[in-house]
Amino acid sequence: MVPTDRSALAAEPPGYNFGSVKQESAIPAEWLAEFEAAAGRPLKQRFRYAFVRTAKPVLDDASYRSFESLAEYRRWCEESLPDWLGYGRI
Amino acid sequence: MGAFEYRQAEEIRDVFARHEVRYLFIGKSGAIILGYPDTTQDVALFPERSPANGRALVAGLRELGFALTPEQAGEIERGKDFIQLKNGPFDLDLIFAPDGIEHFSDAWRRRVMVEGFPVCHPDDIIASKVAANRAKDRETLDRLRSFRDYWQRTRRG
Repeated sequence: MVPTDRSALAAEPPGYNFGSVKQESAIPAEWLAEFEAAAGRPLKQRFRYAFVRTAKPVLDDASYRSFESLAEYRRWCEESLPDWLGYGRI
Repeated sequence: MGAFEYRQAEEIRDVFARHEVRYLFIGKSGAIILGYPDTTQDVALFPERSPANGRALVAGLRELGFALTPEQAGEIERGKDFIQLKNGPFDLDLIFAPDGIEHFSDAWRRRVMVEGFPVCHPDDIIASKVAANRAKDRETLDRLRSFRDYWQRTRRG
């Protein structure tokens, strides 16, 4: 369901203070428009737009991997994957 | 192999329901099912770690077409923390112990059902991404938090 009162969701313009509206509730207008557009699409269509497939170096080289802990997996990502894939911790 | 498709998600849902697997979609794939507009290559599930659920999960994965060796099946049944499957009809990450979520039962209680798909609550998806602290999530988090706020205010029921 899309709200009829967009002003309740949109982010305030820079420098404007809504007073009682919490900072975390402000949604940038561009994102709000994207959320509303997505809400109007059936799930099947959202899948078509959302799931993509590209080759991932190293990650695609094995058909199965397992790790005893997430920490071990994160370490493996940092040591084995190219930085640009973004799997490293900040 | 192509991108993950809706019909494959339906197969997961239907096969796992038959085998009574307890699991949740998590990560960006979960957020997308909730309505979050973004792209991803990853399909991630958070299964409950228990012997019975592990056996059901292995049976379900085999029915879906994953070619699991006995050793791999044993690791899944045991619930190794993180398992990456690329030996089936689509790639799948099994995360038995996601960062930022203490117990499966807590996440299960908070789950959101979308067309029969059990999905982690947006708060849990965000918590796991915050705790993972990965570069690739950094840009996503603010937008995901905004989506959570939008979703909470517009969800039905």
